[in-house]
Amino acid sequence: MFTRMNDFDRMFEAMGLLRNRMDRIFNEFDRSFAYTPGLNLDAGTPRTNLIDNADSFEVRAEVPGVSKDDLEIKIQGNYLEISGKRVLSTPEGYKVHRNERGSSTFSRSFTLPADVDADKVEANLKDGILYLILPKSEAAKPKQIAIN
Amino acid sequence: MSETKDIVRTEEKHVEKTRELRSAVPVVDIYENDDEFLLCVDMPGVLKEDISVNIDNGTLFLSGVRHLERKGVYNWEEFSDLEYVRRFSVPQAIDTDKVRAELKDGVLNLHLPKSEAARPKMIKIKAA
Repeated sequence: MFTRMNDFDRMFEAMGLLRNRMDRIFNEFDRSFAYTPGLNLDAGTPRTNLIDNADSFEVRAEVPGVSKDDLEIKIQGNYLEISGKRVLSTPEGYKVHRNERGSSTFSRSFTLPADVDADKVEANLKDGILYLILPKSEAAKPKQIAIN
Repeated sequence: MSETKDIVRTEEKHVEKTRELRSAVPVVDIYENDDEFLLCVDMPGVLKEDISVNIDNGTLFLSGVRHLERKGVYNWEEFSDLEYVRRFSVPQAIDTDKVRAELKDGVLNLHLPKSEAARPKMIKIKAA
């Protein structure tokens, strides 16, 4: 009986090994394909990062090929909205072989974790990435408490 | 029994590894006119120093690495450092010396001029 159980064990062990291998295959597969590049056109939203720098927030958004005139940023309290459009046209006299990028309009809104001072917001567009620095309002800034 | 062996073979010990760079395939538009091919590639955040374009034996190999400044606490992160990689087959009739590239707003425009021999020629018909 024991020997038989051993056989089972060994069989399951081999299956476990195979499963590990398979798991790893899918991990690697995901890594190369799960990340869709460019604007997230299906969702109509650019990808963003939100960074908390203690006394300010930084929002970064991927907006390749969007000129600064076509971007619009709205802030109210802790509500932030980034919208814009990308206008692409076939250059004059060229014929199209492949068209993966596309013109699109997009809009994305966020509720920031704290109120920001809308007057001091800085926006920079550099290399297709929008950098927004949003200083927190006075009440939301971290404060050092002195111990008596 | 004095011999001690690792059960799992370790490939290399104490190797300092930097964070693995994710690679992605950038989206492109490809255009053609009589003089050249034009590739427009979305590469947001990639600096021009970090882009390499190699044309070798009929293959164009395009690579661009994005390094973003990293500081502060990330509340969420939907994009990060990565390498844009894409390979294209190009016809032999490309004048590789005259390839020109410009980068604007995160979009790389790559001009691949056709060599003289590959351009269409207008043949004039002489009246007999």
